[in-house]
Amino acid sequence: MQFYLPVAEMSANVLVFLAMGGAVGFLSGMFGVGGGFLMTPLLIFAGIPAAVAVGTEAAQILASSVSGALAQWRRRNIDVKMGLVLLAGGLVGSAFGVQLVGVLRRLGVFDVFVSACYVTFLGVIGMLMLIESTNAIRKSRGGRVVSQRRPGQHNWVHGLPLKVRFNRSRLYISAIPPLLLGLFVGLLAAIMGVGGGFIMVPAMIYLLRMPTQVVVGTSLFQIVFLTAATTILHASQNYNVDVVLAVILMAGGVIGAQFGALAGERLKGEQLRFLLATFILFVCARFAWQLIARPSEIFSISSASSA
Amino acid sequence: MMRLLLRYRGPVAFFVTLIVGGVLFGIGEGEAQRRGKAAPPAPVARPMPQVAEPEIKREQQPGARESVEADVSARNIAVTSSFNGTEIVIFGAIDGSQQPSPESGYYDVIIVVEGVPGRIVVRRKGNVAGLWLNTASAIFDNVPSYYAIASTRPVEEIVPEEYRALHGIGLQHLRFTPAVGQKDAISTEDLKQYREAIIRLKLNDRLYVNREHGVAFTGKSIFRASIVLPANVTVGPFDTKVYLLREEKLLSTYQVRLTLEREGMERYLHAFAYGLPTLYGFVTVMIAVGAGLLASTVFGRSTH
Repeated sequence: MQFYLPVAEMSANVLVFLAMGGAVGFLSGMFGVGGGFLMTPLLIFAGIPAAVAVGTEAAQILASSVSGALAQWRRRNIDVKMGLVLLAGGLVGSAFGVQLVGVLRRLGVFDVFVSACYVTFLGVIGMLMLIESTNAIRKSRGGRVVSQRRPGQHNWVHGLPLKVRFNRSRLYISAIPPLLLGLFVGLLAAIMGVGGGFIMVPAMIYLLRMPTQVVVGTSLFQIVFLTAATTILHASQNYNVDVVLAVILMAGGVIGAQFGALAGERLKGEQLRFLLATFILFVCARFAWQLIARPSEIFSISSASSA
Repeated sequence: MMRLLLRYRGPVAFFVTLIVGGVLFGIGEGEAQRRGKAAPPAPVARPMPQVAEPEIKREQQPGARESVEADVSARNIAVTSSFNGTEIVIFGAIDGSQQPSPESGYYDVIIVVEGVPGRIVVRRKGNVAGLWLNTASAIFDNVPSYYAIASTRPVEEIVPEEYRALHGIGLQHLRFTPAVGQKDAISTEDLKQYREAIIRLKLNDRLYVNREHGVAFTGKSIFRASIVLPANVTVGPFDTKVYLLREEKLLSTYQVRLTLEREGMERYLHAFAYGLPTLYGFVTVMIAVGAGLLASTVFGRSTH
């Protein structure tokens, strides 16, 4: 079943993209991750222009985060004040990132830039997860109890000025680290087409020392508003949001996530992380190959504005 | 009532989104049309011909007894959501044909279908510290978005080189030119490579087509050719030019225009995305939120 995508300007097989959304939805349901950092690479591999993949993925992450954020809101697991501070940084980062996408696209280096970003991030995160999960599996096989690393009392974050009280997180810290964190994640969201949860969640736990029960909710809260803003910015600045593609991916993703969540309940946490790490490294290797291998065609063409 | 609304919050939100979305889409289209006939400023410029050329042009060489007439199977082709490329048939007849039989090869016919000329950036990858990056580029103007040539036999055998060069017949003679004000100075050798790369890549994408025996006579005076416009073709007017020749001499030409236009939802969405991009982004956001809420209601649990 072919469908012509109005913004990507290409004919796409609906079933292929539905299946793609379903597969990533399955993985994200299983591992409890947003899935943007898997979906965007898949879209690029499937031939969607990198810029359109990034812009459209923002809308899809929004759809898959809304229900989660709502559920966390009902359980009062969101530190709204912290979320807003993160978001303030995030919006600035996103606005800057969207401009950067436009500039890089005009220079014709956006595809390579995105590949390089993905190789770096997926490589680092995949390796860290692989090491951590292998250790955890080995320890649990050895019969020892796996203990969660306890956050220390203070770190450099607590020495900075501009202190704000975050009641829900029971924190009294400087607003600068969350602002910078938000800024960085916003930048990634705009450039890489990710929600940024995979950076945000560890940073909240280890850097900001937020209590774990509000971490996921607060992260989702800011992802919802960040991806909404990023979608609008991409659409208005870069014309790279394909609503038809987004709807197809949403439909697949929502259904896949339900089955993924069921499958995830049967597997242990460290096994899940090991699997996810392997998958991430695989995607990373695919991108790296693209950059390193001698291309069969060294020329490429694109239309340009004649202005 | 309130409880009921609250309980079915998901579907309600979804339908409200759909309705509001529909209304906004409506406004979007109206706005785009008011702004000037649903041809929104795309970031990728697709220059339209400056002068409104007539749809049909015919030319008769002095002294020639024969004249050619032609038409295409569809003058207006709609690019809708289900557009997956299309095949057009170009057919024509020779008035005053002297040809004894369809197979005699008495006449030669060349058919050229050419899309809108535009600006193309061609980039070359180079190895920088082990990575393959775009390191050099050139800009060309007047590159036809689409170019198909079909003939009764290879054009090299039909018309002399000078004539082909003069009239831009054949892929080697496409008249695209390096744009003025290139970023870097480009050597003649590089220019040649870039030119060849454009043609090669366009041939791979089936946007350039060369069919050496693509025109067939089906009667003493009737001929036809079929040409495929692939799904990734750029919309706009296409000029179809038919050349009738005999023994390297041009007898008559005939030109007819066909137009590829976005239609239906395809046109709607494209016009909206480029005409009112902020509102389009906003509606996309609302659809996403609606879809998320619908999912959480239908499945009764968070998707996270």
